[in-house]
Amino acid sequence: MNAPLKTLNALNEMQRLTSPFPESVAVKEWKATGRFVIGWFNPYIPEEIIHAAGMLPFEVTGDNEPVQMQGAEAHIYSNSCSKIRTCWQLGLDGKYDFLDGYVSTHMCDQDMRLYEVWSYYKRLPFMELIYAPRKRTEEAVQLYLADLEGFRDRLSQYLICRIPDQRVADSIKLYNRGRELMMQLYELRKRDRPPVTGAEAVEVSKSAARMPRERFNALMEQLLDEIKRSGREIRKARRLMLIGNDLHNTTQIAALESTDAVVVVDEMDIGIRRAWGHVDTKLPPMEALARYYLMGRPVDKHTWNSDERLAFIGEMAEQYKVDGVVSENVRFCTYLGWDKFDLKKQLQERGIPILELDLEYGHPGGAQMKIRAEAFMEMLETRVA
Amino acid sequence: MSNDKILSVDEIRGTLKKMKEGVKKQPGLMKSTYRYLDAVSGYVERIANAKDEGAWVASHGTQQPLEILEAMDVRGVFNEFWGVVSDIARLESVPEAMSVSASLGTPGEVCSFFRNMDGLMHVGKWPRSDMFLYAASVCDNVKAFHTLGRRYGIPSFGLERSFLPYTAHAIEFWKNEYKRLIAFLEEQTGKKMDYDRLKDVVAKSYRLTELHLEIDKLVANVPCPLSPECFSATLVAIRCWPGTQYGIDFLTEVRDELQERVNNGVGAIENERFRVLWSTFTPFFDPTLMGFMQKKYGAVSVADMLSTWRVDENLQANWMLDPDDPLGNLAYRTVLAPGNCQYSTGVDVATVLSDKCRRFKVDAAIFQNNWGCKTGAGYGPVIKDELMRQVKVPTLTLHSDILDHTFISRAEIESQMDSFFEMVEASKAYEERRAVA
Repeated sequence: MNAPLKTLNALNEMQRLTSPFPESVAVKEWKATGRFVIGWFNPYIPEEIIHAAGMLPFEVTGDNEPVQMQGAEAHIYSNSCSKIRTCWQLGLDGKYDFLDGYVSTHMCDQDMRLYEVWSYYKRLPFMELIYAPRKRTEEAVQLYLADLEGFRDRLSQYLICRIPDQRVADSIKLYNRGRELMMQLYELRKRDRPPVTGAEAVEVSKSAARMPRERFNALMEQLLDEIKRSGREIRKARRLMLIGNDLHNTTQIAALESTDAVVVVDEMDIGIRRAWGHVDTKLPPMEALARYYLMGRPVDKHTWNSDERLAFIGEMAEQYKVDGVVSENVRFCTYLGWDKFDLKKQLQERGIPILELDLEYGHPGGAQMKIRAEAFMEMLETRVA
Repeated sequence: MSNDKILSVDEIRGTLKKMKEGVKKQPGLMKSTYRYLDAVSGYVERIANAKDEGAWVASHGTQQPLEILEAMDVRGVFNEFWGVVSDIARLESVPEAMSVSASLGTPGEVCSFFRNMDGLMHVGKWPRSDMFLYAASVCDNVKAFHTLGRRYGIPSFGLERSFLPYTAHAIEFWKNEYKRLIAFLEEQTGKKMDYDRLKDVVAKSYRLTELHLEIDKLVANVPCPLSPECFSATLVAIRCWPGTQYGIDFLTEVRDELQERVNNGVGAIENERFRVLWSTFTPFFDPTLMGFMQKKYGAVSVADMLSTWRVDENLQANWMLDPDDPLGNLAYRTVLAPGNCQYSTGVDVATVLSDKCRRFKVDAAIFQNNWGCKTGAGYGPVIKDELMRQVKVPTLTLHSDILDHTFISRAEIESQMDSFFEMVEASKAYEERRAVA
């Protein structure tokens, strides 16, 4: 088993700056300068546009503490995704009162309903809804681009200052650098003994969307440097891949990793998709954003044709030499629900075992999850034997 | 696992035929009941006979421009309607099909219209389909069409539509999606679209819209002339027979009977105590519930969300903007059409429904929070609050499943309705409405 891990100062600093959640040190420092914070909810919102407006993009999520959702259920019935109920409960509790605006897309109807509930019961000064296409075609790029231009226009009006192309282009470069650094960390996790746990990696990724990107990039440089100098290694017998809905409560991942296993890769929006690829700096900046966000990242659950999503999971599982896949579907996620059958079939064909956990978003990694994880590990050991 | 109760196409055909004959002998029903069941049965027959008659079959979801299919001899199987027909024919079929779906690993939280389809396809009882058609709407379940298409080797085409398609670029995109759909259909069928025929089909469809709105005006009368057995007549016409002479003849007959009943002061029941709006789906899972409500509470179902056109101040849904541009007309029609204008914000839907509450003199609303419907779960409370704010109409939220009668018992529903209608009757708003009446 692992020896005590060397402290990663850069990660500690990321966590300090993003605590307490959500109105953190970083947020308070930002607001103290009189600047705006815009909450965004799903991965089809180009943070670059908000950044180019001189505002702080902040991903609206839950975190490591479970949230009681009874209040939220007065406005969103319980037969809906627990992520949106969690976020709305935090909104009702005033935890997101620091937001000046909120932007979402109609990527998923439940995301849209959260936007609507926020707009109806607790309207913010700036609110915007963008359509995220379900197809990956040239026509879809143009449809999405028109909506992104509309978003830029309205954000400019709110700011009473046009957001010029050059500012967007500068932000693209900054965010591209952030992706490049996050991807370097993913590459290190391909090692037989990866330098970070899955829980730590997600903490890094969460920080990216909760603090000024300039600061995040600097801390990422520091983190990679610390890893290089320290020779930090996680010594676990089994390598896992995590797929499905975003997990912001890293205690769930830590529970998995309390067994003799480490998560080395994932397929989450807050994970590898956040780090993947780069926005083309040779194209006009708004078009480049539309192309990247729609076509430049691995296919996600909301794309109707999920063939590429399933293939991507299989390819990553092989590249990162995983022993098993843990699929975490938040209940009532329609998109993932329809991928289940074919996903299982595909992984079986590749000879990769899968553990399907259907959890409520934000619930802690309790005893039940640990028992299931241990049983899965035993099964993996039997296979090796 | 037993599949004995799952209905095949032929079993549905047989049952509907018997039901049609049965209503001839049943006293007290609207005359149009036979024609209504004929429309349902005829729809199933067209699907069952498609192959023999040289037509193609496309299983599809909402938001489809069915006029395009009609003009190309492609017969639609509306997957939601197939679930409803199954419930009409045998209530036990859907739960059993859904248990098959569950055995495949499909989660029980997704919409039962699709779980029913999933189960039926697995046991080989879904109508033979040459293709699947679907569209971006609020419903995320349409991904199932691609998934099932991949599983069973059926080609599929999805129409992309902006959530709020009112900007010039969004409506133009939507219209262009229809062109891409036609290209897909031409590829699948080997036939070219006849645009003159399409114009004729679109013109017939517009006539159907006009008839629907004429019927709405009649149904708004007090007492309400529409009985539960024909409540879904307009929905069936609009969703199953658009662009056809059959649809026009059917609704003409319904309209004429309703006019006659209004002229003679005949209502669904003698003492109308409550006028009810179904602010989302009607109770497909329990086809006799509306009749029960009338009998026990004097509560007459006068309107629902699914049959609602988005009308202008003259109560028209004028989507025929240019007779020479059938695709442009259809693109606009979808935005206004029943079952499609719900794909909007809760406030917008509630505003459309509030207008309907005023016109139909509604006393109470029932919102079916369908277990598998994330849209409903998300906007139900907003609609409830807005109906109260805009027109002082209270809402009963019924947690149910759209197709599965085992999800909630009749006794539980009755218990909730007992206290709900008691509360409505004691409310000041109800007293005021009755005083005006």
